[in-house]
Amino acid sequence: MFKLRQRRWANVAAIYGFLLLFSIVFMGPFVFALLSSIKDNPTEWPPNLAVNQLMPKNWVASYRLARQGGGNGFTGGLAPNRQVYFEVSYWTGPNQEPVPPEVVIPRRVPGGAAAALKIEHYATDYVKVVDLRELHREPHDGGWLTTYGFTLVNTGSLRLDPVPMDLTVPMRQQFVSATLTPNRIERLGRTQGWNNVSAGVFPYVFYNYSRVFQENYSLSTGRQLFFLWMRNSFLLAIVRVLTTLLFGSMAGYALARLEFPGKDSIFALMLFSMMIPGQVTFISNYLVLRDGVFGLSRLFGVSSLLNTYSGLIISGLVSASSVFIMKQFFQRLPASLEESARIDGASSYTIFFRIMLPLAKPPLGALTILTFQSVWNEFFWPLVVITSPQDKYPLTLGLLTLRRTYGAAAFDWGPILAGTFISALPIVILFIVFQQYFVEGISFSGSKS
Amino acid sequence: MHNKSSFRGLGEKLAPYVLLAPFLFTLLVFFGYAFVRVVYFSFTNYDLFSPPQWIGFKNYLNILKDLDFGRALKNSLTFMVIVTAAQTILALFLALLLNQKVRGIKYFRAAYYMPSVTSSVVITLIFIWFFQRRGVLNFLVTTFLEYQGLIVLFLLLFALFQGLLVFYEKWRKRPVSIFEPSFLFLSLFISFAVVYWGVRFGFLAPRIVQPVDIIWFNTTKTWPEFLGKLAFPIPLGAIMLFNIWTTAPTFMLLYLAGLQDIPRELYEAAAVDGAENWHVLRYIVVPQLKPITFLVITMGLIGTLQMFDQVAILGEQAPRTSIITLAYYIYANIFPSSASPRVGMASAAAMFLALLTFLIVYVQRRVLGEGEGDHV
Repeated sequence: MFKLRQRRWANVAAIYGFLLLFSIVFMGPFVFALLSSIKDNPTEWPPNLAVNQLMPKNWVASYRLARQGGGNGFTGGLAPNRQVYFEVSYWTGPNQEPVPPEVVIPRRVPGGAAAALKIEHYATDYVKVVDLRELHREPHDGGWLTTYGFTLVNTGSLRLDPVPMDLTVPMRQQFVSATLTPNRIERLGRTQGWNNVSAGVFPYVFYNYSRVFQENYSLSTGRQLFFLWMRNSFLLAIVRVLTTLLFGSMAGYALARLEFPGKDSIFALMLFSMMIPGQVTFISNYLVLRDGVFGLSRLFGVSSLLNTYSGLIISGLVSASSVFIMKQFFQRLPASLEESARIDGASSYTIFFRIMLPLAKPPLGALTILTFQSVWNEFFWPLVVITSPQDKYPLTLGLLTLRRTYGAAAFDWGPILAGTFISALPIVILFIVFQQYFVEGISFSGSKS
Repeated sequence: MHNKSSFRGLGEKLAPYVLLAPFLFTLLVFFGYAFVRVVYFSFTNYDLFSPPQWIGFKNYLNILKDLDFGRALKNSLTFMVIVTAAQTILALFLALLLNQKVRGIKYFRAAYYMPSVTSSVVITLIFIWFFQRRGVLNFLVTTFLEYQGLIVLFLLLFALFQGLLVFYEKWRKRPVSIFEPSFLFLSLFISFAVVYWGVRFGFLAPRIVQPVDIIWFNTTKTWPEFLGKLAFPIPLGAIMLFNIWTTAPTFMLLYLAGLQDIPRELYEAAAVDGAENWHVLRYIVVPQLKPITFLVITMGLIGTLQMFDQVAILGEQAPRTSIITLAYYIYANIFPSSASPRVGMASAAAMFLALLTFLIVYVQRRVLGEGEGDHV
């Protein structure tokens, strides 16, 4: 008996061991990339998870600095006539005399050219460094640990955001610590750089994320591109979900429960269409949209449906697989449901809208999730239809643009990873909330062959 | 009255077509018409602007002569076979693992499925980062090389202790299996402790190795090299790796549903007969899952044949010849970066793609119809 129990425990432990192992395999890359996406340098070697942005010490510091600057502790900014106080410590060897750091407020132009136009006032023109002095010096590790303090004052009449800062010291004077951990250390440790001294907690922690929004502007309207892309994806997904639900259930009902000439050939064509890859038919579909669906769009004063959302919506009103899912569901309902209504003289429309549709909540739920997910993640067809301007891109194409913007010469991975995770967020939330529907959706679509 | 009812009769007769209208519109225009037109284009010379000219089978001959098409076809087929095989086996394994009745299994299922809900763009971007020259994967490889000796030592000790424990039990005339789980844990623990203390007190040390510089994308090398022309390009292999990682969980869910449909009586009968776990898997689970396996393989083959997104997102990151697929070949001929669109050749390639898909489905139907073949 004892032996048996011992054995069962060992078995359960082994199962959990494997389960955990595969959790690391499947979630590991995500979690690692997510944590790296808030790091200053996501391509650090060796890769590590020592993330400055996750240290409570830096949260407190950035909150305090932002409050000193006259802003909200969470959103930051340096108000006129306000000042922030900063301390920094260096270590020098026994034979070296420590020197106060050279404080520079650089004119750092963020991101691409379009973003540079947005910043009208640079902190470097208004911020003065005052009261730079040595605070104390103590023996440390065979040398000296020297701490300097200084104050940054906004002498202008405008609120400044961001306020970048660089400190430079001579060779062999080693940086030890500062009020706020620097974002980068360059020139063999001589220069310590901060993106924004009075950032506030959120801009400090999510610096890469704010770059995604604040460095990509539309050339024509000047609006934030990433915001536009998100809006486009949401609108497109919502419209396509609505059309799919309505038209999919209509067609599914007709194919499942009505008798009419041509039904079998329609069904056969539908199965055939589910088999053929979209990369085969897109050639003609591209031309159909270009010519405005046989010129019909001219009736609405539009000559071509390329680069329009109408084009994407019209070509994707309802997919064969969603009709299939609805057909499968309606087929399984008992015939008695319909018969009494028919005897009472109800028309097919009445039966569909009053009796059938209210019963179809479970497959409609699964279909909503499935369609939203597939539209949100769609890449190939939007790539063909929407080429310019960038304002019209859905998120997937937007991410490709980010990859081109920040990955042109050397990869600047911070904003790329950040954009990636923002775009995945809605789907992940949807998945966590409606997990059951995702699973059902897979089994629904799985039953098709 | 009469008029009204006949009007209603007409309305009733038209009802199926009215309900089907939006779907018929998309089906006929964006599939039926499109398919016929692509067949037509494949016999013409067309550049999207001037009217198409009939040239017969020339396009088919041209693509067969086109080096890029050959590469695309080879890449697509290699990708299809390897990814489908690997993801099917992995999906079955994961489903068996998740079919256990232990607490919290729901959370594990969600964690495994997470890669499948995000878009191919998201996955590909994360993996370009992951596969960089100084990226996480190369770091893992480096770390593995550093600890390789210790891992081998650990495994040897593990086998030694297990052997000793089992030998001791047998010597005392007690029945025991070589893989007695409680012994496995004990020897696992002991060998880990030995290696850990060895490192701690300086008797053992990880090797010092240079950081590994495997270039995953920007290379024309192939692997495995001894296979010569049969080997696949390394960038394609990298895409395979993360593609298996993303699609296996989807098929895992299908298998999981199938596993839950296997009647309990079968397991119970096997337990009564005293069947080993391995035999239950071999003679009950796998045969019962056969329809699902066919589905998973067919969906896998068709899905992998359409691989496009990863190639487009990688772009100049990898040499074009190493990652080009059939789907990308078609796209690149319609929207070439230079020169004019070659719609005819693209359509001929598209017909090839359609034909391949058709063939897969046909073979699957035939095999399934005869009820033969033992997959997995």
